[in-house]
Amino acid sequence: MRGIGDSLIALAVVFVPLSLLSFGGGNAVIADIAQQAIAVHGWTSEREFADLFALSRAAPGPGSMLAALIGWKAAGIAGALVATLAFYLPSALLVLAAARLWGRWRGSSWHSAIERGIAPVAAGLFLASGLVVLRASPGGPAVWVAAIVTTAALLRWPGMHPVPPLLAGAALFAMAGAL
Amino acid sequence: MSRAEGSPTGAVPDLWAVLFAFLRLGCTSFGGGTAAWLHREFVLRRRWLDDRTFLAAFALNQTLPGSNGVKQAVLIGQHLRGTPGAAVALFGLLAGPFVIVLGVAALYAGLVQHKIVHDMLDGVAAAVIGLTFATGLRGAAHDTPGAVAWVVVAVTVLCIGVLDWPLIPVVLCLIPVSVALAWATRGRR
Repeated sequence: MRGIGDSLIALAVVFVPLSLLSFGGGNAVIADIAQQAIAVHGWTSEREFADLFALSRAAPGPGSMLAALIGWKAAGIAGALVATLAFYLPSALLVLAAARLWGRWRGSSWHSAIERGIAPVAAGLFLASGLVVLRASPGGPAVWVAAIVTTAALLRWPGMHPVPPLLAGAALFAMAGAL
Repeated sequence: MSRAEGSPTGAVPDLWAVLFAFLRLGCTSFGGGTAAWLHREFVLRRRWLDDRTFLAAFALNQTLPGSNGVKQAVLIGQHLRGTPGAAVALFGLLAGPFVIVLGVAALYAGLVQHKIVHDMLDGVAAAVIGLTFATGLRGAAHDTPGAVAWVVVAVTVLCIGVLDWPLIPVVLCLIPVSVALAWATRGRR
């Protein structure tokens, strides 16, 4: 099965560097994944890529199960495994190494000052990430309204499970789409 | 220092509990925004770690490449059970979605051609953005009292979320300022 072997190596060669270059999250490299999958390696057609992208968005878990789907198109289940590992493992190892290094100084007073100083920046980054996704959303003003209403509801009732607003939001959009 | 530091309950879950928590979360966290789902599950519901630990991990996470949700899961696993915890968190978070997404792709390849599917995805995405906002606001209010910290939050949102400035230089400028402010006010808390 020389063909499959070559595809698996090609998948690793494509996804490992993307894993280490995706600053700002997995979505940052979707355009590069598309270029590699469609133009460079011909793993999918443009249409197939769009469908796989939509499918990856519909699945639970971290956004880019796209890697698994591209790998699957290129080389079956083995391809899906190789692409997923190649896309997630390198950045996971990097962050793990950083965390172990950082944990060594736990307990010192400057460690705690740094964690306290980082907290508002991190909270700001969290809010900004929501804002960036919101601005990129194709859904228009309705998405803004739904997002703001959900925010207010979750702040008012912190114990609320987000699935009810999720389903309410989904039903609302389905209805709006039908009109 | 015991591992229980940063845990509001002082309890440290065993490796199996960590695995099942991540498996469950992987299968139920629809609509992206995995970091917000992680906060809800591990800080609010299970209380295995506190807001400050979560936010510190998130800031470290943001300066490194890779999927934010996956990195945050690895950091939470590492905090709870060391390197084995990180491995279990990574596997647990990815295993469910991996099987589900391939199953759906194999069985219902035509699913995404229906407009109603896209409408529902937009709805789900909007709700998850709401979850992300609520998490960020709660994190800011809970762990960073004081006007100065709110200014830092606002400046961060402005630079990254509105002006689209590149994340890493912004973070590298803001963190020293914010840490210096935290250091200067440390006696007053």
